[in-house]
Amino acid sequence: MSTLNHVDDYPEIPVSLASTRTILKTGAWRSVRPVLAERSAPCSAACPAGVGIPAYLQDIKEGRPKEAFAALTSRNPFPRITGRVCPHFCEQACNLEEKTGRDSVSIRSIERWLGDETAHLPHPVPSRETGKQVAVVGSGPAGLAAAFYLRRSGHEVTVFDRRDLPGGMLRYGIPDYRLPTVIVDEELARLEAMGIEFRNGVALGSDLTLDDLEATYAAVFVATGAGRERTVGIEGESLLEPGLAFLEATGRGEVALPGDRCAVIGGGNTAMDVARVLRRLGAEVTVLYRRTVTEMPAIREEYEHAVADGVTFKWLTLPRAVKKQDGKLIVTVEDMWLGEPDESGRRRPMPTGVSRELRFHGVFSATGETADLTPFPDRLMSSDGWLSLAENGATTDPLVYAGGDLATGPATVIEAIVAGRRAARAIDHQLGLDRLWPEDNPIEVVGSAEVNPTYVPRHDRTADHVAEWAGPFAEESVTMTDAEVLYEIERCLSCGHCNACGTCFVFCPDGVITWEDGPVIDYEFCKGCGICVAECPGHAMILVNEREVSHV
Amino acid sequence: MRWAVPEAEFMDPGTLGCQGCGGTLSMRLVLKELGDDAIAVLPACCWSIIDGPWPVHALNIPVFHTAFETAAVVATGIKAAKQIKGKDTTVVAWAGDGGTFDIGLQALSGAAERNEDIVFICYDNEAYMNTGIQRSSATPLGTWTTTTPDERPEPRPKKDIMGIMAAHRIPYAATATVAYPDDLSRKVRTALAAKGGMRFLHLLSACPPGWKMAADDAIEAMRRAVQTNVFPLYEVRDGREYKITHWPEAEVDVADYFSLQGRFAPLLADDALLNLVRNNVRERWWFLVERHQQSLRKASSPDGAHLH
Ligand SMILES: Cc1cc2nc3c(=O)[nH]c(=O)nc-3n(C[C@H](O)[C@H](O)[C@H](O)COP(=O)(O)OP(=O)(O)OC[C@H]3O[C@@H](n4cnc5c(N)ncnc54)[C@H](O)[C@@H]3O)c2cc1C
Ligand SMILES: Cc1ncc(C[n+]2csc(CCOP(=O)(O)OP(=O)(O)O)c2C)c(N)n1
Ligand code: SF4
Ligand code: SF4
Ligand SMILES: [Mg+2]
Repeated sequence: MSTLNHVDDYPEIPVSLASTRTILKTGAWRSVRPVLAERSAPCSAACPAGVGIPAYLQDIKEGRPKEAFAALTSRNPFPRITGRVCPHFCEQACNLEEKTGRDSVSIRSIERWLGDETAHLPHPVPSRETGKQVAVVGSGPAGLAAAFYLRRSGHEVTVFDRRDLPGGMLRYGIPDYRLPTVIVDEELARLEAMGIEFRNGVALGSDLTLDDLEATYAAVFVATGAGRERTVGIEGESLLEPGLAFLEATGRGEVALPGDRCAVIGGGNTAMDVARVLRRLGAEVTVLYRRTVTEMPAIREEYEHAVADGVTFKWLTLPRAVKKQDGKLIVTVEDMWLGEPDESGRRRPMPTGVSRELRFHGVFSATGETADLTPFPDRLMSSDGWLSLAENGATTDPLVYAGGDLATGPATVIEAIVAGRRAARAIDHQLGLDRLWPEDNPIEVVGSAEVNPTYVPRHDRTADHVAEWAGPFAEESVTMTDAEVLYEIERCLSCGHCNACGTCFVFCPDGVITWEDGPVIDYEFCKGCGICVAECPGHAMILVNEREVSHV
Repeated sequence: MRWAVPEAEFMDPGTLGCQGCGGTLSMRLVLKELGDDAIAVLPACCWSIIDGPWPVHALNIPVFHTAFETAAVVATGIKAAKQIKGKDTTVVAWAGDGGTFDIGLQALSGAAERNEDIVFICYDNEAYMNTGIQRSSATPLGTWTTTTPDERPEPRPKKDIMGIMAAHRIPYAATATVAYPDDLSRKVRTALAAKGGMRFLHLLSACPPGWKMAADDAIEAMRRAVQTNVFPLYEVRDGREYKITHWPEAEVDVADYFSLQGRFAPLLADDALLNLVRNNVRERWWFLVERHQQSLRKASSPDGAHLH
């Protein structure tokens, strides 16, 4: 046996000096490959405007509110407004709720925060003028959204409204405690700063006709809303106060309570707001509704707010007649029961024959609104007596578009905005101006079975807080704080959108994902285990069969 | 990035780990904390292969391949040589469960008893995977392996390696898994900070082929091992001071862990056996909770500061 005293006495041993990278191309093992794939989040798909929610949430999280605002306003110019009054279709679709049973992300509250945070930012002025003039009739959310996008495209835009101030239902319908008028005014000022001209006190039909407009303008968008109040159709109708007119009057500061006991007939949003305004002014308020809470068309949250305000509801109560006696109004109501569902799918109220008399100081009607079609010439009407409209708002006249509540009947602010935006896009197209509109959202929606909620924190949802009482019309809720917003955003899975969380990078067993502000996969070595896809919280990566990938 | 895991890599791609290998990911994440002033000693195990065949290898630190039973003692020798040369290099013995619980145990016990200044890391895939899924003393009760087939599954409970290491009164011992990367990273840092004596890390590491499951379930499987208390995350200082580092939010039934893996088919088919295992898991968890609380009480008592 030799002695090992010197390094030269040791036998040679093999040493590996080169990297596995040089010869072991383990990508050849792969049968499926992970790829980053931007897909629609269910919240974005449920939002009528298709706002790319996970993407702008990431902008906020990473301290880029301006970019978030730009992303949001590319689909909805008024986050301050919808962030307050939208029935948040998005939240109803949230995968977090479906997957874990936890409450959805408070998307609307985040939107509101972003709106307030960026309220001082001017809207972009167009980089070039097209020299085209476009008229918008009606300055509700549909008209305002159309004006915003048309102006952004570089057209000269004039907005006409028959009222003395623009804003439509935003100003004269939705009360201040939900949407302060100052906010509407500030939004209008921003639109004016873009160069949009407002002409108030001009009514289509009486002051000006569509033909007049077509003579001057390259295109016209009409969004005159659904402001004509339905009558209840009962004996003593003239003793009723129309609810919408009452809201408009209070909006103008002309507050007048008919007495301390009031009734509101109806179950929609107008009924809720009329009841709440009366209640907040100090009256005892009873809503008379012929069906029950389940069939009521009002936004659920609004009903809950009305209950919280102390409004009383009498269900299955149908007013039959109103008369005046000793300075009071006597309402004869009949008790109802629910029969088979009607065309709307809701169970139909059926008479029981049992009647009673109720006494009030004032009774308000709020049983729905319809559009006033008198300003439209016959050539734009379809055979059923309604406006003939394509999906993008095109009428049978190539120069005239229409949309919003006018086309749909009473709907929501965001649907009106979408109609305005869609028409603006159609008009751009019609004028042959190839402005770069953002691409449509991916059709594929990330399902709740695909997401991985492991890595989002489990804390409870945070939303707007209730404000301290500061008068009947002071805003009833408070925008979340910065910290609360960031905390709430942490709960979002970021479905279908890589928000650079780094989960795939951390868990790739082979370290084939490099990090360059986001994941970059090295297919020379990726073995296709699929862990990155399985762990990605929002399933922003998908696995693609290698056979379907074309090799160059 | 949401994670407190360093971005720097010390493992090249092109490793020969199977798709979804938990042992490979364990190495990758541990190395991120170890850095490049380290040497790894690998006894016979999957990692002897994973690092690559001559003349290539994947780790960006020197690797010393050695005999199956010798990880701890070779690491001890290398550390001694480094010390003589005045170097502070971290020496890590990186062994499978076979090389730790079974054949490597004598060398490990000796090094632990001498309180050698090394880090011994066991990546535990609960069988001899490299040679074709034979049972080891780390294989849990009721598990299928090629030597404990479905008709005669593993008859003995998993050996309590953490208890054995604690009994050696080494400065630091901890369990961890890559399914909880921040916890793992922190424990590697703690082990490094406790230099001067023996440190032991027990890492549960999924093996998709050996556990009979899909590669992309690997992280979920390790996560469920923790959520069900089958593999609690805790650390032991000086063999006495216990601290549970992750408290599962709700009790998740052990079957949630077993059902993800084909190797537990015998358990899932035998209610009595499953109940036995379930009770063992509970008992073990409450034992740890008691030790944890006891340690808290001692730490807050006037003479509790010094446990030695
Ligand atoms: C009380 C109430 C509460 C509501 N609450 C909510 C809510 O919480 N959330 C929500 O999403 N939606 C709510 N809505 C619905 C929402 O306000 C409407 O869907 C939305 O405003 C419709 O927008 P629009 O632009 O189509 O019409 P409008 O907002 O009605 O605007 C139409 C505009 O056209 C003008 N106009 C009408 N006729 C003419 C004419 N002949 N010439 C010139 N101008 C004319 C009007 O003066 C008005 O300014 C509520 C509605 C009401 C009434
Ligand atoms: C003394 C000796 N006996 C047997 C073997 C064969 N052998 C090589 S690796 C291995 C299994 C290792 O199992 P484990 O330590 O659990 O690591 P794993 O392969 O599971 O990662 C065996 C038995 C050997 N190399 N040396
Ligand atoms: S895991 Fe995170 S970083 Fe990776 S793709 Fe998904 S969202 Fe992006
Ligand atoms: S985790 Fe890594 S190896 Fe596995 S599929 Fe994804 S990129 Fe490829
Ligand atoms: Mg093993």
